[in-house]
Amino acid sequence: MNASAIALVGNPNVGKSVLFHRLTGAYVNVSNYPGTTVEVARATARFDATIDLVDTPGVLTLPARSDDERATMRALLHEPLRAVVQVGDAKNLRRTLTLTTLLAELGVPAVLALNMHDEAGARGVTVDAEALSDALGIPVVPTVATGGEGVAQLTHRLADASTPQPLLRYDAAAETAIADLVQRIATHAPHPRLTARGLAILYLGQDSEVEAWLQQAAGEASAEFAAARGIALAAGVTPAALAHERGEAAGTLAARVTARTAQSSPLLAHRIGQWVIHRVWAWPILLGVLFAVYEFVGVFGAGTLVGLMEETLFGEHLNPAITQFVQGHVGLSWLADLLVGQYGLWTMGMTYALALILPIVTTFFIAFGLLEDSGYFARLSVLANRLFKLIGLNGRAVLPMVLGLGCVTMATLTTRILHSPRERLITIFLMALAIPCSAQLGVVLGLLGGISFSALLIWVVSMFAVLMLAGFLAARLIPGRRIPLVTEMPPIRLPLLGNVAKKTIGRLKWYLIEVIPLFLLGTLIMFLLDQFGALPAIIRAGEPLVSGWLGLPKEASAAFVMGFLRRDFGATGLFALSHQLSPIQAVVGMVTITLFVPCIASVMMIVKEQGLKIAAAMLALIIPFAFLVGGVLNHLLRAVWGAGA
Amino acid sequence: MSIDHASRVPLGFLLPGAQARVDALDDRIDPTQREQLVAYGLAPNRPLVMLQQRPMTIVMVDEVELALEDSVARHVWVTRR
Repeated sequence: MNASAIALVGNPNVGKSVLFHRLTGAYVNVSNYPGTTVEVARATARFDATIDLVDTPGVLTLPARSDDERATMRALLHEPLRAVVQVGDAKNLRRTLTLTTLLAELGVPAVLALNMHDEAGARGVTVDAEALSDALGIPVVPTVATGGEGVAQLTHRLADASTPQPLLRYDAAAETAIADLVQRIATHAPHPRLTARGLAILYLGQDSEVEAWLQQAAGEASAEFAAARGIALAAGVTPAALAHERGEAAGTLAARVTARTAQSSPLLAHRIGQWVIHRVWAWPILLGVLFAVYEFVGVFGAGTLVGLMEETLFGEHLNPAITQFVQGHVGLSWLADLLVGQYGLWTMGMTYALALILPIVTTFFIAFGLLEDSGYFARLSVLANRLFKLIGLNGRAVLPMVLGLGCVTMATLTTRILHSPRERLITIFLMALAIPCSAQLGVVLGLLGGISFSALLIWVVSMFAVLMLAGFLAARLIPGRRIPLVTEMPPIRLPLLGNVAKKTIGRLKWYLIEVIPLFLLGTLIMFLLDQFGALPAIIRAGEPLVSGWLGLPKEASAAFVMGFLRRDFGATGLFALSHQLSPIQAVVGMVTITLFVPCIASVMMIVKEQGLKIAAAMLALIIPFAFLVGGVLNHLLRAVWGAGA
Repeated sequence: MSIDHASRVPLGFLLPGAQARVDALDDRIDPTQREQLVAYGLAPNRPLVMLQQRPMTIVMVDEVELALEDSVARHVWVTRR
């Protein structure tokens, strides 16, 4: 970590992370979706190795209200900032300048990168950067970060960063309250870089991070701050009133430097954006998107690619060659068995991970990245909102839920884009219970799709019913209020293949680092259980539940043991038994194993995000529930189709 | 005079294509969400264009398309232009 830093700050979805990548070479996840950056990222600047660049989550409003806004405020308070690069959306200058009004008060030298000025131009919006620079007293550089346009000039102008001129004087009552607090802050809690006036305004705006910092810095004297704020509130100096004044000042300046030309017809991207949420066309488009994803991931990834990898590459070439090599060179028979036997680290662990899972997750992450960058997901949240309302969530939860179909662990982390702890808890619970990851989905499609379409349909309907029922109950049992959806819809854009590729590689790396050790550990445990003869004992112990209640062959117990490590590993175990399974057994087995515990990595992520107690409570609910649903389904299907089906 | 013809109406009553100016966000919207709406540009005196009402209310403010759930849109008061 360097002794001085430059922070990239701005509204959500204005291109901060793309610019960060341009300025550092370090890649952070970039999407056409507000709220992608949930944590502060840091890397050394390309143009000066003594400076750290800090990418902050987007702020819709300051004073901070959401977790990501608080993370940004913490960066402003604690980072050794030499300057701030405010990244703004050129087509939405009012919002950009509303943030500038506050940054100006904090007294940090700044440069304004007026990003996406190409999109603004396409909409007939032009900003007079020179006039804006004069008004603010800081360099203003038009950029198109995705194409690298203006980035060199921005780097060059960083040396000219200066403190922006204040854009407004608040009304008399507010100025009195600010002056009073400034004096107290300057006496009891001076900040090494930020001005007392900026901190006073944020404190009056009830920013919890500033409040915490002042309390710590001032100790007992902070009671004075609270008393002063109480008096200000009584005089009508509310956070809303202050925000309104900032908005007005920003709006006035924005209007002065922005010119708009009327457009003859809406842009094609704009029209597509409207079609995909049209009350009629949205649904056939959604079906088309789902079909395309199914064809790419389900048919091409899980079918063609897995076939090539598993049967041809591994089955015909790699595995026979490696087995022959190991058996020829390793004298110890148990060691050879451990490497290439029935539960061999290579023949089972690596083969599962690389031949079966990798092609599926790769195609899934490519499809996900394309949809994410196109701006479709934000619109999907609008379409899904009514459904999600039934389970106490709003449409925003669609992003983690869909990502969960790729990797539940990664999606658990992504729930940070949700606005309330209650929404996060419900979403994480539902994902842990009923959202199969792509690896597992591939195995399910492979097994059930091979039996019949109705087998697959029963599985889909069962999962959906469980998701809705569990969500419906969770929404009523977990205290708190549902937050209605208010969301910005980013423009529909043609995804940049380079960005999708980088994102896919980043996600795959993350996934493989997580999955391979677990697959190897799982294989090792299976090997040891087999070697020490414990597997038959487990199979016997699980018999009443697995054979009696679920109606599965007793060997399926082993799949549930494997399922403790990863659900897809367990599902793959069932897949291996598929020649012994009747259609009903296959459906019951897959439904149970899908609901059954999420993988170890996602349990660890749940512990990290929600704490040990909640994670333990979730598992205590999920495991018996999975067997309950599986058993009920078994008896129901047998009652309808008869035991012989 | 029916509510449809009154000039001051909740946002949820505007027909697609209609232009209006925000009057007020009433107290039944959660305070944090009210602040967010103001930050998005749905602030008193600001112009907007109604784009669609189904499946959600979608308006264009400041070159940004904003989707609002009905329970929020019915508490945003606007004057038709």
